[in-house]
Amino acid sequence: MEGHSLLANYHEQPRVWDEMFSNGGIRPNYQNFVSAIQNLSAEEMTHKDELAKKLFMSQGITFTVYSSGEGIEKIFPFDIIPRILEAAEWQHIEAGIKQRLKALNIFLKDIYNQQFIIKDGLIPAKLIYSCSNFVRQMVNVNVPFDIYTHISGIDLIRDFDGTYYVLEDNLRTPSGVSYMLENRSITYRIFPDLLPKNNVRSVKDYPDLLLKNLVSLANRQKSDPTVVLLTPGIYNSAYFEHTTLARLMGIELVEGSDLVVDNHRVYMKTTTGLKQVDVIYRRVDDDFIDPLVFRPDSMLGVPGIYGAYRTGHVAIVNAMGNGVADDKAVYSYVPAMIRYYLNEEPILKNVPTYQLGEPENKKHVFENMDKMVIKKTNESGGYGMLIGSAATEKQIDEFKKAIEEDPRSFIAQPIISLSSAPCYINGVLQPRRVDLRPYALYGPDGIDIVPGGLTRVALKEGSLVVNSSQGGGSKDTWVLG
Amino acid sequence: MLSRVADSIFWMARYMERTNGTLRILRTNYISSQDEVKDFSWLPLLSTYSDVSPEEKKAIGNYSPKVLEHLLLDRTNGASVFNNITHARENARAVQDHITKEVWQCLNDYYHLIRNEKLQTQIIYGDPVSAVDSLIDHGMLYHGTVDITMARGEAFNYLNIGKFLERGILSADMLHIKLTELNYSLHQVVDVPALRYLLYSLSGYELYLKSHRGSFQADYVLEQIIYNENFPHSISYCLKQLLRYFERLENESLPESYKQLEFLIGRTMNNVKYSNIRLSDSQGLKNFLQQTRQELFGIAAALNQYYFGNS
Repeated sequence: MEGHSLLANYHEQPRVWDEMFSNGGIRPNYQNFVSAIQNLSAEEMTHKDELAKKLFMSQGITFTVYSSGEGIEKIFPFDIIPRILEAAEWQHIEAGIKQRLKALNIFLKDIYNQQFIIKDGLIPAKLIYSCSNFVRQMVNVNVPFDIYTHISGIDLIRDFDGTYYVLEDNLRTPSGVSYMLENRSITYRIFPDLLPKNNVRSVKDYPDLLLKNLVSLANRQKSDPTVVLLTPGIYNSAYFEHTTLARLMGIELVEGSDLVVDNHRVYMKTTTGLKQVDVIYRRVDDDFIDPLVFRPDSMLGVPGIYGAYRTGHVAIVNAMGNGVADDKAVYSYVPAMIRYYLNEEPILKNVPTYQLGEPENKKHVFENMDKMVIKKTNESGGYGMLIGSAATEKQIDEFKKAIEEDPRSFIAQPIISLSSAPCYINGVLQPRRVDLRPYALYGPDGIDIVPGGLTRVALKEGSLVVNSSQGGGSKDTWVLG
Repeated sequence: MLSRVADSIFWMARYMERTNGTLRILRTNYISSQDEVKDFSWLPLLSTYSDVSPEEKKAIGNYSPKVLEHLLLDRTNGASVFNNITHARENARAVQDHITKEVWQCLNDYYHLIRNEKLQTQIIYGDPVSAVDSLIDHGMLYHGTVDITMARGEAFNYLNIGKFLERGILSADMLHIKLTELNYSLHQVVDVPALRYLLYSLSGYELYLKSHRGSFQADYVLEQIIYNENFPHSISYCLKQLLRYFERLENESLPESYKQLEFLIGRTMNNVKYSNIRLSDSQGLKNFLQQTRQELFGIAAALNQYYFGNS
């Protein structure tokens, strides 16, 4: 590699799987890409990096942080070096996710109806009923086509030997898919010709597939049912994504105050009066969606929408109550669900998970805190989390205290190192830890996963936390055809 | 179209029109403050385009750079250009799926332009005219982008309704500001620089020179600003365009809402058309401008009630 200034200073880390290098050589999936960029000068690379930032800013691909009454525009940090997956790798991931989603969807149907899985003793009833995201109002509600998890964003990570693990299933309102689309459109601009030359599979079908699924859920016999996207509004950090998706699908973007419910039917207020809505892709959480049934102080929802949903006059995507399958303690049962419902062996591994409600588990975890990640069962986004190896004595003691008080709300997992991928930071190629979130669409015709996803990057050196709220960024993700 | 969306588009257009109007009037006033006019005062402008207390207005009123900074950049002044652009963009953000990507990006760039530190330094310490010019230019870019990219549908109609309504109000306001400076006593004056500057602010000076070569008279100026149907800033022109774009909404309106608005717009047009302005009757002129303004506000209120669902 002598002479290639860009690659010369790149150091692999011990016991970390690197996506681009293995033992000093370049993995086959990256070879084409590397040969195209390795001779670029530092100025050219930096120019591309700046161009990417400028494009994000001028296209308004930003999220807004509100402080002292004034919105400050921030771009979601983007690294210009793509993450590249081989066709075979992708097939494995795709098959694994489909299998998992099938099982999780049956689980949701089961848990809100007959509850065979509890009766057969696979999951303790106590675990389900103690879950704050188990929505009692969903019991015995019929959902169209028995689909609960229309849209999910499964987080995958890789251990030091390259094995993929599922970290979270994100079955509620996963975000980030617009960045998958925008990252690709920026990559086109900064690396001309590289995508077709590498035979990278396209991600642009996502909005069409999603719209097809949404339309098919409409209950009224109508050729063009009204489909809307319900957003919490312009102050939501994912608002950019809501507008992008609404525009790409050509559907109306509505806020809670645009909708009214009358006689269990949902209408939107238009300049020509009320118009009935058939399908709602909502980006408002369960808790806020109907102040009459859930949080009464919510200003984001629509009073009476739950009743309209329950009576089948409107379809809501994703279904309410999916949080029970996102619970991190319930997560540990997913491999068992796959065996129980599908009679198959899980294709993708679960990260071993200790429920701290069990006294032996708690003892074992407390003795090995430095090797563990502790997580709250109902939180996401990198909040409510402790990484034992990087925590201070004081933080560990605080967590131990909180666990003693409410062991059901915590789980522990051994620290998985996360694979690294090269990132162009400060003019140098440096390894940073990444995960992968493909987006799966579950419709009446089956499950579609666009080849790609969002690769999130922990931009801080040595950090294992990729969440955007905690200093994470993203990369374009290429799946080779 | 959603009522909220129509409302936001309407206001986006109004804020953009207001931005353009404010910028132009600031530009000409700044130049006239540096030019021949003796005892130039910013107070009439401050009273319209600032919401600070009268004492504060007096305190900065004689210091042009301070006034410009206040009217252009002051975030605490609800009517500043900075806030106008921010509001236009916030409205655009809420209706991104109904305007084209180009229009949204243009407004977004406008927002980043007025937040640009170099531009702000230019306004406060350098030559404010070139800074204001670059802002005006970007406003032109917005109008061109709307014209070239927006489909001729409902959104485009609401955009134009907002634009021409606001422009009519602005023309009436600017006329009122200038006439107040002259105490509405026009029959004594023949040529006042104030009226020339007014025409500059409304981009109408060249038209005036072409139509009335060699004679500068107050009644001709008034006639152009109120009645001239070929002058894009005249009240009559604005009303005519307002009606034109409103009529296009007929198929997308509830019949009773449409009737209400059509009546209000038609009445205002007739009141303007059949008015009788005499320079000697300063009270009559004052009343006429007041009434026209009130009727324009009445149209906005009716749109708000019948089309945007805010009662």
